Amino acid sequence: MNTLRRSNLGPQTISGLYLWALFIIIFGFWTPDLFLTSATVHSVASSQAIAAMLALALLVPLTAGVYDLSVGAVINLSTVLVVVMQTKHQQSMWTSIVVTVVACAAIGAVSGIIVVKLKVNSFVATLGMATITSAVQLIVSDQTQPLPPINAAWTNLTQRTVFGFQIVVVYLIVLALIVWWVLDHTPVGRYLYAIGGSPEAARLTGVAVGRWTWLSLIASSTLAGVAGVFYASLSGPSLTYGQALLLPAFAAVFLGSTQFTPGRANVWGTLLAVYVLATGVQGLQFVTGVLWLNSMFNGVALIAAVSFAVWRQGRPTKVHQTRDAEVHEAPRADGDLQAVGQNAPG
Amino acid sequence: MSSLATAPCREDALAVRGVSKTFVATVALAGVDLTIGAGEVHALLGENGSGKSTLIKILSGYHQPDPEGEVLVGGQRLDAGSPDASYRLGCRFVHQDLGLVESNSIADNLALVAGFPTRLGTVRRQRLRRGAREDLARVGLDLDPARLVQTLSPAERTGVAVARALHEDPTTPARLLVLDEPTATLPDREVERLLQIVRTVAARGVGVLYVTHRLDEVFQVADNITVLRDGQRVATVPTTSVDRAGLINLLVGAEFDEIQSASAALPPEHDAPLLVADDVRGQHLDGVSLQIRPGDVVGIAGITGSGRETLLSVLFGAQARAGGSVSMRGVQLPPGRPGRAMREGVAYLSADRKTLGGFLSLSTRENVSISDLGRFWRFPKLSRRREGREVAEWIERLDVRPRAAAPLPLAALSGGNQQKVLFAKWLRRSPQVLLIDEPTQGVDVGAKAELHLELLRAARDGAGVAISSSDTDELAALCHRVFVLQEGRISDSLTGSRVTAAEISRACLATDDRSAR
Repeated sequence: MNTLRRSNLGPQTISGLYLWALFIIIFGFWTPDLFLTSATVHSVASSQAIAAMLALALLVPLTAGVYDLSVGAVINLSTVLVVVMQTKHQQSMWTSIVVTVVACAAIGAVSGIIVVKLKVNSFVATLGMATITSAVQLIVSDQTQPLPPINAAWTNLTQRTVFGFQIVVVYLIVLALIVWWVLDHTPVGRYLYAIGGSPEAARLTGVAVGRWTWLSLIASSTLAGVAGVFYASLSGPSLTYGQALLLPAFAAVFLGSTQFTPGRANVWGTLLAVYVLATGVQGLQFVTGVLWLNSMFNGVALIAAVSFAVWRQGRPTKVHQTRDAEVHEAPRADGDLQAVGQNAPG
Repeated sequence: MSSLATAPCREDALAVRGVSKTFVATVALAGVDLTIGAGEVHALLGENGSGKSTLIKILSGYHQPDPEGEVLVGGQRLDAGSPDASYRLGCRFVHQDLGLVESNSIADNLALVAGFPTRLGTVRRQRLRRGAREDLARVGLDLDPARLVQTLSPAERTGVAVARALHEDPTTPARLLVLDEPTATLPDREVERLLQIVRTVAARGVGVLYVTHRLDEVFQVADNITVLRDGQRVATVPTTSVDRAGLINLLVGAEFDEIQSASAALPPEHDAPLLVADDVRGQHLDGVSLQIRPGDVVGIAGITGSGRETLLSVLFGAQARAGGSVSMRGVQLPPGRPGRAMREGVAYLSADRKTLGGFLSLSTRENVSISDLGRFWRFPKLSRRREGREVAEWIERLDVRPRAAAPLPLAALSGGNQQKVLFAKWLRRSPQVLLIDEPTQGVDVGAKAELHLELLRAARDGAGVAISSSDTDELAALCHRVFVLQEGRISDSLTGSRVTAAEISRACLATDDRSAR
């Protein structure tokens, strides 16, 4: 993770890796015969691949400070659409996939127009689009969960194994590399992070804030569409899967923003968060097997990790405080004087 | 109304005696005396940097004054540096930023500070409304407390802020009301309304310290006037004993007349203009036309609310333009399109460095390079090596501290260094026209000189520079020509030997033909 920014790999910016190691050691000693098996590694890797893709989908607009709450609904629509196209409408697998992904991209384009042109808050706009997408999904599915196509090529799309892993894990790595490349190595990523930093300052620096916001929403729903196709191939279509995944995916992005480049949502932090949480949950399930564990663990981990990061950094809150103080205390006049008082020693 | 009481007596709302304030190396206030009787309206005048704000902050308990000297409020000594003590002795403040929640009702705004009357946790609407009416009546306002603040006129809003400050608190009656430039953003016709409120407040026995840049209202409302300059009290006079010209002389001082513009040595070339603005209208702007030529350093002066703060922003397209045209070497710039203006070679730096100028959460390197990433982009990636090299050059050239600032978030740098980084962001594009609002606001003295040098260097290299500043010394030091704005129009244009701090201040305060005294 040789990033441009403070690529500070000190213990504080990669606390997730230590936590991960800790989980592996604890559960390794606790239930070595269950936990320390390649079967567990493979199963965690592929069962979380779709969740990780969804988290990547959220990550892209979030770098620009835009929330996309519709990705859960989009992934559901995608699983249903790609299956119905093949079974009911007898389309070839590849046609179905392309149509599905394009349809999902179109949903992002509409959300983007609502956010950028109508200036509706992204939270509200994508929440509305999520509900509309759910309705479309019901129309497409005829309100019943469709049966998956019986076809080796379709299941092999994601279930073929490579070095013991299902190939969907490789797809995840490819998608992550693409998102990483865009966010960290192209001007587009800089623009997105700048918009996330201050949309108005970005506009005054010539960044096409509207265009990039729009494209980030298209990217997120396209990624969700792709993830849906893979999920349908992996486990069959689902009417509810995506919604249940939405909040954990947000949790992963926020948790991930405390890793590697603290304070900034990033690809590898997000993936790390997804897998650290999954490892913990998997281990605990081997130990107890109670149902409420998954949610409890994810929730506690999110709050604990982000609180820790806020407490340790302290910086963002401090900046806000000084800004407020200046607005109230120093309306322009005598600004120089004040600065002399503050800055002279430095 | 007591006039000029020199010995503080028990009834004085405020008695400041020999108060000084020293910041590390700078004396902001030097042994200032000020007495305000109960029911007296006392105007406090002074240029930017004269010490007005420092004095107000001492009264509010924000600054701790130097140990000698004392402040008495209603005869009682004010404990230094404690906002609570200041409130308990009866000091009330209304700042230029009124701090009202515009989308809430008047009653809610009043209760935000005073507290909501409740029974069993439920807000008692009747009592809330009655209390609000009483508060409003106290300042002579008859408004429906249910009205939203955003529907009020500017003067009414200020009135609500005053009513909120003077809210009856049985334990600590208000003795002193400090109004910090209350009329700075008010249109002329609204000013009289506010002055009426001030008179009503004073008639109730509250002493009023009235800070302003506008001289007309001083003559209308104040009993006495104190003038500060460079932290010293220049004079305290009854309003009846001084006229406008006399007051201006007290404000700017005669010695400033001698200062020659340092930039007079740079003669403006009379080439074809780069940027031409014609009859530009917008917020606070009522038809401004000007030209910026290569090598020119143009200053924009004016009091707060004159259009000085918005002109450059509107020219660039950062703020909406309501009318008129702006062109860059003959190419029309559409309103509200900063990207287009940039492509034509215009750069703009806002006075609001923290939210509009830079990205506090991004690194210094990203802040500098964002203005043109194209030069580092070779498919498939941005060249970090080249980016790092260019940013390092700028850090070196502008003497940004610390030298290793590139990977640090902008928020970690001091104000002066942040401003240098933002200068680098624009200068690296070699803009043909630089529009800079308050180039050195909140910047330490050393950085100020370097930033000025960069602006002069850009002009020498053929760029046109326009700076808008509330610091008249800065304008005098840099500019070949200073346009003075009043009420959204250019009221005067100073060139050559007239470009002095004193002359600029005079022109900013001068009455125009319509309201000649």
